[in-house]
Amino acid sequence: MENSQHSNNLRNTLLLAQFEVKKMLFNPRGMIALAAFALVWLLILLYPIRGASEFLITPHYKDLIEGIFGPDVVSELFKWSVAELAIYWIAALYLFPMFSIFIAADQFSSDKSRGTFRFLTLRTSRESIFFGRFLGHMTIQTILVSLTVLATIALAVSRETALLMPAITSGILVIVNLVIVILPYTALMAILSLYANSARQATIYAILIWAAMSITIAVINNFLPIISELKWILPGSQISLMINTQGLGSFAYAPVALLQTIVLLLLGRIYIKRSAL
Amino acid sequence: MRLIECKGLSKSYGSKQALRQVDLNLEAGEPIALVGPNGAGKTTLFSLLCGYITPTDGEVSILGHTPGDSALLGRVSSLPQDATLDPNFDILTQLVLFATLQGFSKSDAKSEGLRVLSLVDLADCASQKPKSLSHGMAKRVAIAQSLIGSPELVLLDEPTAGLDPANAKKIRELVRTLSSKTTFIISSHNLDELEKLCGQVLYLEQGQLTQSVSMNDNLQNQYITLTMQQCDADKVVDAVMALPDINSIEKKQHNEFLIKHNSEEDYAIESALFALFKHNNWQYKAILKGRTLEDKLFS
Repeated sequence: MENSQHSNNLRNTLLLAQFEVKKMLFNPRGMIALAAFALVWLLILLYPIRGASEFLITPHYKDLIEGIFGPDVVSELFKWSVAELAIYWIAALYLFPMFSIFIAADQFSSDKSRGTFRFLTLRTSRESIFFGRFLGHMTIQTILVSLTVLATIALAVSRETALLMPAITSGILVIVNLVIVILPYTALMAILSLYANSARQATIYAILIWAAMSITIAVINNFLPIISELKWILPGSQISLMINTQGLGSFAYAPVALLQTIVLLLLGRIYIKRSAL
Repeated sequence: MRLIECKGLSKSYGSKQALRQVDLNLEAGEPIALVGPNGAGKTTLFSLLCGYITPTDGEVSILGHTPGDSALLGRVSSLPQDATLDPNFDILTQLVLFATLQGFSKSDAKSEGLRVLSLVDLADCASQKPKSLSHGMAKRVAIAQSLIGSPELVLLDEPTAGLDPANAKKIRELVRTLSSKTTFIISSHNLDELEKLCGQVLYLEQGQLTQSVSMNDNLQNQYITLTMQQCDADKVVDAVMALPDINSIEKKQHNEFLIKHNSEEDYAIESALFALFKHNNWQYKAILKGRTLEDKLFS
């Protein structure tokens, strides 16, 4: 009995995740969002990434950039075997968490205010709804990350066909790392989306939280440097340090994001079980 | 096993107490009606039974489990007030999702979705999006949703409000047909409807359960509700009072009278009334054995 309940829960979680992906990819509103996303990335790929990677491979510019930022700050940037992916990495590390705040803002809010949840909770556990939606939104974002990495690889290969193999290996590492980076963002958005009445409200709460926490952490750092490690509780706190990593080295920061995700998901699970729908 | 058991059930929203100390024991069987003025706590009681909200105080158990327990998934369902389907998907897709979540296989889920839609006469709307439906149609889809998988208990919050008379009648017939397998609890303001449908009526007022009336109680035998066509009320009252075994006659609404009698003989009063009408050439509209639900609750 206990066992069949668990397998039911898992089955329903996957069903709901699948449904969520379908909602994003196969309905007009989702497709418009996707088209906008693709256009933004097309512009990023064509101008900054293609342009900057040309600079990156000329030694002259390496000296210039090191001169501006200091040799240790961006040193790893020049170790990338595929220059396009190096620039992509910087752009994606900042852009995807931001996209996440928008894309994952409606995990629950509109369903909650419409009452659609009331149809679901009589058939499946609240837990499966929570994790199903989270999983669905992670799948959507993984697809988006993968598509942009593929486009970057295509751009690199169009310049130099020999780059195909190194581009694929470092592309896979980039995808995995970026997915880990957006995990805590999506988890936090799940909680905010449960609390808010609309996606926009959830996004506003997210901005407020990040702003308020950044300020608090900065103040604490200033007056009580002993507990400065507090900064690690804020999702994304590792991003600025991740810029100067590449390949497997980037995984050094994965535990931060993974731990944040686990804590946030556990909090979300408690919250959805107790909230009034 | 008891269908529903509530002990000292209370729910407050801030300082407002929506339900106070409700004690309730209900058995499975004939449909049960829940009546009460606006704001009496009917929807709150339904939400508690569905596990949408948790009680501030007291206990609820449905079929031996707390609402929201995984053992109740698929066994209890409801037509929640004001809940709407996802506007992004067509109706059938959503009903199929609900059925698969209840454990149906993909193909069974589709036929189950179509089955419940045809129960409410909307099978041809299966591929429409929720936004293209009228209010009444959306309500019927929501009723269809509550019937997926033939649950043991279905809570219907104002199922016929906003429906045209023909469809309201169909829903009543549907409830009657299905009530051999499923126990329905229906909240409604339409007392005539509940009178025809339900075996038991619960009256909720200001968050408290003030009355529980059975439709089949013995007391009914001592009452006759008489409705006349055009008549002189005073003359009718005098004439009926003059008949044997009459305890009292009370003028209720326009041309409606409640007669209380103590006759042991079947149809004695009825025959006497008909004789009286014939003698005076009075036209009657209806003779109801017992009292109307309205009279039971509000007198």
